[in-house]
Amino acid sequence: MASISKLGRHQEKMAFLFITPTMLLFAAFTIVPVVMAMFLSFTNYDVVSRMDFVGVDNYKRLAGDALFWQTFKNVFYYSIIFVPLNIVISLMLGMLMNFKRMGIKLFRTMNYLPTLTSAVAAATVWIWLLHPEFGLVNGILGYFGIIGPAWLAQTETAMLSIILVTLWQSVGSNMIIYIAGLQGIPEYLYESAKLDGATAFDRFRYITWPQLRPTTFLVSTMSIIGALQLFDQAFVLTQGGPGNVTKTPVYLIYQQGFNQLQMGYASAQAFILAIAILIFSFINMRINKSEEPIV
Amino acid sequence: MKRWLSVTALSAVLFSSVIGCSGNNDGGGDKGGSGGDGGGGGKPVELTFWGDWGGEGQKQFETMVDAFNKSQDRIRVKYVLQQDMITKFLTAATSGGSPDILFWDRWRTSLYAPKNVLHPIDEYLEKDGLSKDAFYGESIKELSYNDKLYGLPLTVDARALFYNKKILDEAGVKPPTTWAELEEAAVKTTKWNGSKLEVAGFSLGDNGLFNMYLQQAGGSMLSEDGLKTGFNSEQGRSVLQFWDKLLNEDKVYKVGFEQGLGEGTDAFVTGKLAMQYTGPWMLSTYKKYGKDLDFGIVPPPAGPNGDKGSVMGGFGLVIPEGAKHKEEAWEFVKWWTANKDNALLWAKTSLNMPGLKEALEDPFFKDDPFWQPFMETLEFAKIRPAHPGYSVMENDGLIPNLQLFQQGEQGLEDTLNKSQTQGDKLLADNADVK
Repeated sequence: MASISKLGRHQEKMAFLFITPTMLLFAAFTIVPVVMAMFLSFTNYDVVSRMDFVGVDNYKRLAGDALFWQTFKNVFYYSIIFVPLNIVISLMLGMLMNFKRMGIKLFRTMNYLPTLTSAVAAATVWIWLLHPEFGLVNGILGYFGIIGPAWLAQTETAMLSIILVTLWQSVGSNMIIYIAGLQGIPEYLYESAKLDGATAFDRFRYITWPQLRPTTFLVSTMSIIGALQLFDQAFVLTQGGPGNVTKTPVYLIYQQGFNQLQMGYASAQAFILAIAILIFSFINMRINKSEEPIV
Repeated sequence: MKRWLSVTALSAVLFSSVIGCSGNNDGGGDKGGSGGDGGGGGKPVELTFWGDWGGEGQKQFETMVDAFNKSQDRIRVKYVLQQDMITKFLTAATSGGSPDILFWDRWRTSLYAPKNVLHPIDEYLEKDGLSKDAFYGESIKELSYNDKLYGLPLTVDARALFYNKKILDEAGVKPPTTWAELEEAAVKTTKWNGSKLEVAGFSLGDNGLFNMYLQQAGGSMLSEDGLKTGFNSEQGRSVLQFWDKLLNEDKVYKVGFEQGLGEGTDAFVTGKLAMQYTGPWMLSTYKKYGKDLDFGIVPPPAGPNGDKGSVMGGFGLVIPEGAKHKEEAWEFVKWWTANKDNALLWAKTSLNMPGLKEALEDPFFKDDPFWQPFMETLEFAKIRPAHPGYSVMENDGLIPNLQLFQQGEQGLEDTLNKSQTQGDKLLADNADVK
């Protein structure tokens, strides 16, 4: 009895020892900056010459900053299309790639490849593919007699193009997560369901989907966070144009902070973004909770 | 067998990405700092010179630095490549690691000078009997704030009209000198194949050139006092009408036509574009194509009332307030920018136009048909207005509205009014820099 609790205490000590480096780094590079940013958002800090307390002036200015809210509208529009599509496509790919067939690993690798490319490099290639006159996409459309749009230059298609490119890049890694989730579902559930006469759709609806709840929660949360923080693809593909329809909050935060040296105001913007991410993650959590797992 | 296949595929990818990386490194030229540790006995002052030009640019800088180090033995300069220079400079300016000389994109002066991170050089100038008039006045203006001068111009540039000689000859038109001629030449050189644009007569891809057109129309971007936008005017209207006519009536261009066409597929190089505004920085690229690309340059065509306009830009050298050896840094700046021979050596090495007027008098520039039109353009080119919020106003307030106008989603009056209200707000929000 005593020896077990002694072992337990020893393990406890070791656990703290092992987690300390991570927690220290987390504190130094995440917690401290967050607290600092919160403090800075109430000042007019400009890195080089001033740091005076200005109360809620930055937040007041935010309220009237039409461009900032426009960028929020842009990423919401992006998220509403991107997040569900990301889940659906990753799940379908995951189920497809979960079949045990000859050469399946090759296909898994191929599907994962886009994730390995750098966002900026891939976006640069896509600019070329999406060129209105000489691009591959409009070339193929041309064979079917369709005159493709100037994808990245037109207000109607610019955001859709960004959604497509980012989807192409992100479904690979989510597919892997789903495959892992699928392989964690015990086989006997399917067997007994089959014995009870459940159709393939029933099995998906009542076994696969509920069993994948934690996986879906992870994938959707990460997509929401990634979507609200959209920056590099949008920046490379369209530079925020045309007509501001693809400008994102992160772009504005960077510009205000590093180009205009208004770190205080940029911190306030960043805080609003963080709160928005928090709210949406929370909503996402509630939606996911509503569906309780069966086992 | 199956595993073998996927492993091969994966390793092929990894391998190629490794090759890609090493290729990049070669291009970047990571050979920084071998010249620093000079003779142990002597005591030359060591200066650090920061710039954000890598690759070819780094070699050009190092050529100048080496020449300076050889010319005397009191001061030794070392070039340090800083990819993210401005951000690094911000932290360095406050924490004491400031360089002695900084390669400076001049338009930043109006934002940084008021914050006292740059050292004024007026007294040095006076002491050495140098005159500001030796340089292009506009470039000096861009380096000044509140009647103090914060650096000397290293390069000057401005956009002029590049035209493809072959295409213009075939269409039987001469290089244009006015808006009307420009329109005529563009119409005659444009070729459509059904709904596909094959050759665009004139590039309307860069809305950021509005400033240039506005000058040609006789207008100005900011109001007299420099605090509000000034383009919602008769002149601004005539620019938009001109664009609208070219794009929608004459159809000499298509929105998005040049997007994503980099070097090698550049529309001007491949003969898909007859005329465009661009600057001297494209000369070396275009000259590379030799006979395949027969092009000429003329100063920007004049507007309806005969006004000429182009936007001057370029770089300078500044001395940060945190520099430890300001006197020596000044020696280096003076040696490079204010000495005719050295400015010329720099110009020939880097193919940039120097800010020192005297150096441009050299036959290398004066008698070259490619440089000559730029010299003419520089005579009337003006800098961007010196307002700390100017670039934000242009990028977030004006250009988005111009894009909507070009795509026919917004009328002319609407565009000018919205640009004005949004622009005025951005200027006001970013005006306070003290």
